[in-house]
Amino acid sequence: MAEFTATVYQNEFLPDGGTDVNAIVTVTCTGAGSVTSGSGSATAGEVIIVDTSGSMGPATMAAARQAAMTAVGEIVDGVWFAVVAGSDRAMLAYPQVSAGPGMVQANDETRAEAQRAIDRFAGSGGTAMSTWLDLAGQLFGSIEGLTQRHAILLTDGENREDAGKLDAAIQRATGYFQCDCRGAGTDWQVEELRRISTALLGTVDIIPSPDQMVAAFQQMMQASMACGVADAQLRVWAPQGAQVLFVRQVAPTVEDLTARRTAVNPLTGSYPTGAWSDESRDYHVAVRVAAKAIGQEQLAARVQVAIGDDVLTQALVKATWSGDSELTAKIDQQVAHYTGQTELAAMIQEGLAAKAAGDEATATTKLGRAVQLAAATGNDEATSKLRKVVDVENEAEGTVKLKRTVDKADEMALDTASTKTTRIKK
Amino acid sequence: MNCPHCAEPLADGAAFCEACGKPVAAAPAAAPAPVDVSQEASPFEMTAATRAPGTRAAAVGGGPRPCLQCGAVVGPDGYCESCGTKQPSERDHFREQPVPWVAGVCDRGIRHTRNEDAMALHATGQGGGQGGGRAVLVVLDGVSNTDDSHLASLAGSKAARDVLLTPLPAGMGTDESRNAAVARVFGESVQAAQAAIVALTPAGSTKPPSATYVVAVLEDSPAGRRLHVANIGDSRAYWLPDGQPGVQLSVDDSVAQAQIAAGMDRKAAEEGPQGHAITRWLGIDAPDLVPHLTETVLTGPGWVLVCSDGLWNYASDPARLVEQVAAAATTDPMALAVALVGFANGCGGMDNITVALARVEQEAAHTEATTEGDTHG
Repeated sequence: MAEFTATVYQNEFLPDGGTDVNAIVTVTCTGAGSVTSGSGSATAGEVIIVDTSGSMGPATMAAARQAAMTAVGEIVDGVWFAVVAGSDRAMLAYPQVSAGPGMVQANDETRAEAQRAIDRFAGSGGTAMSTWLDLAGQLFGSIEGLTQRHAILLTDGENREDAGKLDAAIQRATGYFQCDCRGAGTDWQVEELRRISTALLGTVDIIPSPDQMVAAFQQMMQASMACGVADAQLRVWAPQGAQVLFVRQVAPTVEDLTARRTAVNPLTGSYPTGAWSDESRDYHVAVRVAAKAIGQEQLAARVQVAIGDDVLTQALVKATWSGDSELTAKIDQQVAHYTGQTELAAMIQEGLAAKAAGDEATATTKLGRAVQLAAATGNDEATSKLRKVVDVENEAEGTVKLKRTVDKADEMALDTASTKTTRIKK
Repeated sequence: MNCPHCAEPLADGAAFCEACGKPVAAAPAAAPAPVDVSQEASPFEMTAATRAPGTRAAAVGGGPRPCLQCGAVVGPDGYCESCGTKQPSERDHFREQPVPWVAGVCDRGIRHTRNEDAMALHATGQGGGQGGGRAVLVVLDGVSNTDDSHLASLAGSKAARDVLLTPLPAGMGTDESRNAAVARVFGESVQAAQAAIVALTPAGSTKPPSATYVVAVLEDSPAGRRLHVANIGDSRAYWLPDGQPGVQLSVDDSVAQAQIAAGMDRKAAEEGPQGHAITRWLGIDAPDLVPHLTETVLTGPGWVLVCSDGLWNYASDPARLVEQVAAAATTDPMALAVALVGFANGCGGMDNITVALARVEQEAAHTEATTEGDTHG
């Protein structure tokens, strides 16, 4: 059985009149097992969605076929799975049934059948992602007792549907299955796929060239197979009268969970974190409490990890009011680091959006700030990706110039990786 | 033993520190070194509204008690599940109310890391003038920076109280014989407390636990309602009659008291550098064990207040205590004790705070007659 631990990093000392408590809570899962050995025990389901629209060029289509076949090969025996071919409508490519359960359990035979079905994929038609997500949801729904639902979505283009259709489908899928999204080439919209992956607790990334596709799919499926914990919730209790300012995952990526609260009781909210493998994630919790007299201590938050109704671990976020400015002035290293990383993500996204809109002044300022933050927080990946988009004049001061010619893939890679954070040594 | 000023080791029996040259005679009561607040466990916030007046305090040790701040359930992590207030341990904050007219609160305060004050109460009968009422209020203030003084003071206060569970002797009929008999009983109470403290003194301790001692015994007699007070050290007993000036009945054994006796202004003396140095105490290194004794016949309604310096530091003058009592506007002793502890914490809570109260409603038929017999000195 998986075990969770939670550790708090914070400066609990508040100055006289101070009200805002910030803490980083590191949640670590060990002993997760895999989809079949963990609490999921053969009730996990995988849906592979491959864009088969007409925009998929022959090379991309060939690579996508190869990648999807590889991914099928990674599905562990006993896991329920299906393959969807997506264009202007979604087609169940495997298993080829028209009624009843729309998924089969993986074994040598079913994997081989699925691979043969994938091998017949050819590109034609448009792109209507809402139908893809909806079919995936129906497939998961056709198998009783699935506790873990995960999809992989590959596309090479942008959605061609009336505004709102995709969002409605995302909403229907939210909380029901998780979805990792990958964009092949540079003709797809980062913002669009990020909307899906964020809501569906997955990742988004670019696969710039076809030859990287097999490895990307293999990695995604292996990661999913390693998730022995189907669905953990982060619970945050705050005292009567306090306000939870925000709850964010800050590592390995920045994901704002604040708006995803569901009430457990009037003082406790539950935030979805999806499936877990043996891994560690950091959360930034900020709570505003009523100020108390100097010398007093109170609990500002209980941060818990729960599966269903079982609370597996708990960390305490405290507030102690002190008149000693040496104590109160310090910002916890972890809090400062992740505050910077969160701003970094926002600066990259806003900077690229401004650049796309032709607002070069704003883009220069925001990407300059991003360069500065990436350097200050030691995010080397962001630094190297930023340097492909801007010419850095002064890293410490964040003065940059936009490059005149930028490889579109580099810009998209910067965008998709914007939420990736680095840890500091503890 | 180490120097209270510079912490350098002292030679046995040294009167002055060889390192810094300061006198160390009053070491057991030396003003505590500045405390790093960050290193302290938390206090809890006292407000007058912590509990509905008139309700009994939960028995000490009787299972998890509700949050002292808001009354909600306390989680297994020691914090309230509603307001998040950190709950003090049973030793850091406890309350007693043996009868509705007698109650006390013993609280760690804000600045100290543990509660070295202790309190033990006993009461029977009615406080409202129907006669037969009897109350014993015991407060011991364990001296900071001595080994296990929180354990010693608690054991000592209970031992001191247990000697006084039965009415004081009337002697052979004369005032002299009665006074002598009463003095003997209080002497036994002091000895019992002393024995308990000595019993808890760690072997070879260089900082043996020590404590102040103050006891008030209120009992009805044919001669009227008598209040006996015995004390060693600087914990105090007051009589605060309703609508009249209050009086301090105990006599401090402190440097400040000596300076006041020599003509110094009270405020200046108590706030001076040696203001909190006590000259007598209980403990294995006690100079002597003879308490100051006073006896007062009470008339009219009012409050008997027994407290540690954690309270009177903020209201030494009886007039200031009367102000606080008036501000609380209650005749419930627990509500008033909570309010006075809250007042001291509101002033900074620099020391442990103990407040024990008996509410006297009696309209005595006897005229007030005060006899003071200070058997010591």
